[in-house]
Amino acid sequence: MFEVRFHGRGGQGAVMAAQTLAEAAVIEGRHAQAFPYFGAERRGAPVMAFARIADRKISIKSQVYEPDLLVVLDESLLDIEPVARGLKPGGKAVINTRKLPTEIDLGMEVECATVPATSIAMEYLKAPIVNTAILGAVAMVCDLFSMGSMQQAIENRFGGKFGEAAARANAAAAAAAYSQTLRGRCKGNRPFVPRRVWLPDWRDIPIGNTLGEGVKDGVTVGPGGAKQNLTGSWRVQTPRYDKEKCVRCLRCWFSCPEGCIKREEDEYVRWDLNYCKGCGICAQVCPVKAIDMMKGGSR
Amino acid sequence: MSEMQTIKDMPTNDMFISGHGACAGCGMAVAVKNIMRILGADTTVYVPASCLVVISAMYPTSNFRTPYLFTAFENTGAVTTGIRAAQRRRGLSSTVVGLAGDGGTFDIGLQALSGAAERNEDILYVCLDNEGYMNTGIQRSGATPFGAWTTTTPVGTNVEGKREFKKDLMAIIAAHDPPYAASLSIAHFNDFVKKVEKAKNKKGFRFLHVMTPCVPGWRSDPSMTVEIARLAVETGMWTLYELDEGSARTTYKPQTMLPVTDYLKLQGRFRHMENDDIAKLQEWLCAKWYMHYGNDIEQPVCAVFEKVKRVRHPHEEQLHFI
Repeated sequence: MFEVRFHGRGGQGAVMAAQTLAEAAVIEGRHAQAFPYFGAERRGAPVMAFARIADRKISIKSQVYEPDLLVVLDESLLDIEPVARGLKPGGKAVINTRKLPTEIDLGMEVECATVPATSIAMEYLKAPIVNTAILGAVAMVCDLFSMGSMQQAIENRFGGKFGEAAARANAAAAAAAYSQTLRGRCKGNRPFVPRRVWLPDWRDIPIGNTLGEGVKDGVTVGPGGAKQNLTGSWRVQTPRYDKEKCVRCLRCWFSCPEGCIKREEDEYVRWDLNYCKGCGICAQVCPVKAIDMMKGGSR
Repeated sequence: MSEMQTIKDMPTNDMFISGHGACAGCGMAVAVKNIMRILGADTTVYVPASCLVVISAMYPTSNFRTPYLFTAFENTGAVTTGIRAAQRRRGLSSTVVGLAGDGGTFDIGLQALSGAAERNEDILYVCLDNEGYMNTGIQRSGATPFGAWTTTTPVGTNVEGKREFKKDLMAIIAAHDPPYAASLSIAHFNDFVKKVEKAKNKKGFRFLHVMTPCVPGWRSDPSMTVEIARLAVETGMWTLYELDEGSARTTYKPQTMLPVTDYLKLQGRFRHMENDDIAKLQEWLCAKWYMHYGNDIEQPVCAVFEKVKRVRHPHEEQLHFI
């Protein structure tokens, strides 16, 4: 059994990548399954997708917890979650980045391949949808399927949904990625910080499921408990505020979907970037252009 | 405390806090956040199946700092009625608000809504209208406008997008003669604040209808959410009015009607629309415009449709729009 876990952001096509990978394995005459992480994540949020490949019928239906292959569609995810958790010691990783494999720190030293999938996708597809480009790199790293069957799978899957021209462009992006993949070993210095979860048994769940405010196993639960969910990790652009220009109309404060714009006593505003998703509404509604959006998710 | 009139009067205390899972640029999150700021801590929230449940109340956490309840899709009117009845029985009183989507209001929740409105229950019902079943993957609802693409009104060779016009929900609500009903836009800030404040302070059945642009469902840019809501009002796709104790009035009148294409071009769900369909939608909008704002000022974009000025809404008398 060969297990694969994809890490991406909502909208990047991680699910489609997992499905295409499974289809390539089926073309090679193997059994395969692919499915997304079942959750409430929305566009821009860190998401996962899974695939399993085997020579016999696959009966297991659970998520992949100990993958043989890790595929990371967005380099910024490395800093916000322990993507390599559970990766088998002899496992492999494929990462979308312009860096060399030796510059990557996954928190464990494994065989690693890097590919500049975003720029390949921009060149071939004119959009930052990196799922097919990264599959070219996967075909390079894995000996389970040939590049031919991967391209066939891409053409089947994308041709049916988006038409023949899109299928050809996606297959070409995969081929370009195949030839631009760099292989090496990554570093293992990053410490793993597992995310805390509350896993109650039935006796711990209150009658009627009603939870009051409180802390259970280190997790804040009940009304207002969602504040521990730092959605700032979704951000790919960051607002910059020019206080000199601000006329204190509070339109940005009203229009921010996250509520991450805080109103000060003197009616000026400040941003809580732990939660800002970088939608850019504040810059759009500002009547005096005191806010503009800078590329990048950093502060 | 005097009534809130503008953004500046709003409390800074968030009752719907950061950390929810909505898409970047979600119009519904803007609406809910501000409604909860105005309603304050003394509020009980009910949400039926919708995006709002999924983004804000994944067990064991919640983004609401108030009591919160969730059961099934179709019963917002019934459950809020029950919460209010339980409070009366215990001698408590707080604002009971049902935050339903357009699917849970226009289609699936209509009978419970009608029942609660007819009994004049002391609840506040908010319809967060993103014009489709966006949570389950963009299916059409009774609120989806004419011509819009959804997965169940696809664009093909014979049919291009939805063929029916948006259901006039407010006419159905008006027929129940509630103490207060109003339509809101997230782009008209002070109007929004005044209406929510008014609804909060009244007794009996109150209804608020908010247009909440949906980034993935409308195929729009996240930063344009508020701009789209503003253009909806300027083009007549959305009208800001209120029904207060039986008398209706429009609360904001745009200077001149902008062509509907200004609104359509910002949204991918209308990208396929051709001239025939755009003209059909524009004609429907012109009739709606003259009904709401009166036909004494001729709108240049409506000049080609000679007969629309004379079109009268069948429920005009009931709606008190004269």
